[in-house]
Amino acid sequence: MRRLLRRLLRIDRWKPLEARPDATAALHLKYLTFRDLSTSNDEILEVIAEIERRLEGGPTFGMAFVRSSAVTAASHAYRMIQKLDALSNRRYPELSARFSEIQQAVESILDRGPMREGGPYVVPLAKVTVGDLDHVGGKSANLGELRNRAGLPVPEGFAVTTGACIDFFAANQLQGEIRALLQGLDVQDLESVSATAAAIREAIVAAALPPALEDAILAGYARLAGSVGSEPRVALRSSALGEDGELSFAGQYLSLLNVPADEIVAAYKEVVAGLYTPRAIAYRAIRGIPDEDVPMGVACLVMVDAVASGVACSVDPNRPELPRMVINGSWGLGIGTVEGGVSPDAWTVAKDGGYTILTRSAGSKETSVEALARGGVAAVPVPPERRPSLCLTDPQVAELAGLVLAAESHFGAPQEVEWALDRAGRLVLLQTRPVHTSSGRGEREAAPAEVEGHPRLLTGVSAAAGCASGPVFLSSGPEDIAGFPDGAVLVARKSNPQYVRVMDRAAAIVADIGAATGHMASLAREFGLPAVLDTHAATATLAAGAVITVDGDRGAIYAGRVESLLAGASERRPAGMSGTPVHAVLAEVAKFVVTLNLTDPKSSEFTAASCRTFHDIARFAHEKAFEEMFRVSDRVSYGELRSLPLRARLPFRVHIIDLGGGLRRRPGAASLRPEDVSSVPMRALLAGMTNPELRWWQPKPLSVGGVASVTTQAIFTPFVEYGERRLGDRSYAIVAESYCNFSSRIGYHFAAVDCFCGDSPSRNYISFRFKGGAADEARRVNRCVLLERILRELDFQVERQGDLVNARIRKYDLDATLARLDQLGRLIVATRQLDMRMGQRASVDWYVRAFMEGNYLFDPEFGREGGDRDRERNGPDSC
Amino acid sequence: MEVGMTRPIRLLIVDDEQRLVETLSKRLTARGLYVEGVHSGPEALAVIQARPFDVALLDVRMPGMDGIAVLREAKKLQPLLQVIMLSGNASINAAVEGMRLGALEYLLKPANLDDVLAKIEEAFKKKRLEEEHLASQRQAGG
Repeated sequence: MRRLLRRLLRIDRWKPLEARPDATAALHLKYLTFRDLSTSNDEILEVIAEIERRLEGGPTFGMAFVRSSAVTAASHAYRMIQKLDALSNRRYPELSARFSEIQQAVESILDRGPMREGGPYVVPLAKVTVGDLDHVGGKSANLGELRNRAGLPVPEGFAVTTGACIDFFAANQLQGEIRALLQGLDVQDLESVSATAAAIREAIVAAALPPALEDAILAGYARLAGSVGSEPRVALRSSALGEDGELSFAGQYLSLLNVPADEIVAAYKEVVAGLYTPRAIAYRAIRGIPDEDVPMGVACLVMVDAVASGVACSVDPNRPELPRMVINGSWGLGIGTVEGGVSPDAWTVAKDGGYTILTRSAGSKETSVEALARGGVAAVPVPPERRPSLCLTDPQVAELAGLVLAAESHFGAPQEVEWALDRAGRLVLLQTRPVHTSSGRGEREAAPAEVEGHPRLLTGVSAAAGCASGPVFLSSGPEDIAGFPDGAVLVARKSNPQYVRVMDRAAAIVADIGAATGHMASLAREFGLPAVLDTHAATATLAAGAVITVDGDRGAIYAGRVESLLAGASERRPAGMSGTPVHAVLAEVAKFVVTLNLTDPKSSEFTAASCRTFHDIARFAHEKAFEEMFRVSDRVSYGELRSLPLRARLPFRVHIIDLGGGLRRRPGAASLRPEDVSSVPMRALLAGMTNPELRWWQPKPLSVGGVASVTTQAIFTPFVEYGERRLGDRSYAIVAESYCNFSSRIGYHFAAVDCFCGDSPSRNYISFRFKGGAADEARRVNRCVLLERILRELDFQVERQGDLVNARIRKYDLDATLARLDQLGRLIVATRQLDMRMGQRASVDWYVRAFMEGNYLFDPEFGREGGDRDRERNGPDSC
Repeated sequence: MEVGMTRPIRLLIVDDEQRLVETLSKRLTARGLYVEGVHSGPEALAVIQARPFDVALLDVRMPGMDGIAVLREAKKLQPLLQVIMLSGNASINAAVEGMRLGALEYLLKPANLDDVLAKIEEAFKKKRLEEEHLASQRQAGG
């Protein structure tokens, strides 16, 4: 016994640090490893916070975000395992096995490509119905249905299946290349989207079709030629999965018209490459559709040599409640009408059984698109004498109306149909899809000439309902929208579906030329954007930057911001990602990344084997790393290096480990007093945490009347019981003379301070991190909003993602840095006691002020006569 | 324990995309770093053999020698070199392999310049700490 005592005394005898460099070095190495592990823990928490934010309706995202989040979380979880292995001498081998399982689960979600179900590459249209949707894509399926089940006239042709596209990509390893190119893409950066889209299309067009596919397409064409008795020119039209269904993809993909026999294979590749036009990429990004989910089918149809063509809607898209339909048309091939480049003829037809024509108006129809003898098409001027005449006769309008209504009744829903009139006077349907209608606001009166001092600047065709205001952005074409600001009104010369690229940011759309039945109008309705088209003079009348109000309900544009119109306007559909396929994929990935199952270190479930997510692994590894740190220090046990509990008036226990110069030794002492701490930053932090004004040991002031106190009760309730009674809820500090790393955790709640401070300001920094807390999402976030505000008051640079707060200051001189540490110490203790309830955001101001005034109990009576102290015992029992 | 910036960080950028190397070099040089850029694995190893660097930004997918192979060799030549992988390839396997071989991060393109700079500074801090550790070890040995 005596010998033991002597030995202890000998060990405890004070020795300068240099005398034990081996021990210091070993500990130092452990510390570096621990530090790496901590850094990775921070990274994972950041990824988790960002995923939570996006799932709850933060910024839009695509698969690239999902992938990069998964990869970042996985790589740092892996690194934490590596570092914990190093710290613990591989004490938890089970962790690696768990990691592999989680990795596999996540990869299987991410690598879910399109299913290739076998089947032929080519199917004659005569054999296609909507049941083949998954194999042939939307357009072919709808056309086959029209032809074979509804008995309506459509061109002869065949469908190239989506499976053909999948095999084409697979044979050339295109999917990986495309994925890599898209991963590096910021969808908001319109220029780089264009460049990337071009690179992807180039790669697709340059790739060779598998011989079996090429043979199948050529054989399909030979059969078609046999059945029509000539070698017809054909139209190759996109027929992507999802196209022409619930999501319109209106005009997002490619059609190639008047293709000669020897160019079919090249044209096929070009249409498939149309998956990656900038507008299609943007459309999918905004709509949350993973690129992998849209293999492209292609419809190959006998070219209709059209005299006139256009679009017809079986309802008025803006007044779906009225019993009438709308027909647009112009000379030549239909591209002009659907792409919006031509002012078309327009009819409204009563759905009264007799196809009564309610209105007719002749469009200006300056150009028409015509087939060229050598293949392809070109826009040519329409002879002036032909422009004013309507492109359909009344009987043709009635016949077309009959076809459109037949399509509507067959599909049982309003349809938007592309039609053509051939040289023999026959009407054929080129495609059909469900109409996107605006939800109208009931009866609409004519637009008034002026609303309370806001002159009406223009009128036009109401193409999408709603009312919005914003500054004018003038565009002569979709190529000049690079600088489009959020919330602006797009004012375009011609309507064009490529404008989809700004539809998530625009307030409304106005165009000189364009029809309510065009693709852009359809997209505007899909995005809930008010649109007024065919104004003739918008680009000439409206000045760039001028604020206007667009009344999409009545087709009018007013100067300034017309509050009376905006007040009644239907809420714009939020562009949130909820309900989209990409959102669903992220939610699925989150189950293996974000979910935290290991919450209680004392639970028997807190084991490596129980880790089911990357978050679990991080939580487990972080906890065990602390244990290892303190295990090593216990083992080393050279007086100045031992971990010792701190005896101080704190709402949690702190154990301190010294890396050198951070603690003053008191021989034989089993615990530390605050004055034993010689680490300069730790002293400052402790001074803050033990500030007598904190009085965390006192009961909370309870309401004794007064409005403010009621508010307090509603917003704050005491936080969980104090850590002293909760074993395992230790806080740790690793200190050196000029350094401290303090971290504490209770349940979900995690706070950490890392600081270096010395005489050279350039090296000084404080970094503070706070995450979570046991409360519902809204309360956690609110508490973090409060923290964020207070930290800013203290001159920290703060980033907050949901309930994760990151704050740092750098390069302040010693005194300024220490002053911030002191405040930080107070903040950590003061906020530990608080659990912020959902409340008015405005009241955060009050709490910020209270903290800055030193009212750490957030007592509404603070500073008043008679003060809070009188009521300290006024608990519910004594009332 | 922590170290501030007392001399320019020596950064090596390895990427077969010439434009990316140029832009990054220009922008990071403007932020006070000493930057060299190369466009292939073998070039990178030659430079790493010739002179010391603090941090390397290393592309994963490069024709010929890929980033993982470069990482393996680079760590033999300069064990304290901090390597940040910068990849367009969102593959967990590649990321894990990188971490296993001692990479510090597996960043995905497009990376925000400020983020990249923060990672580089963090990497440099880590390198200084490891250097201090080696120094203290040597002291212990001698």
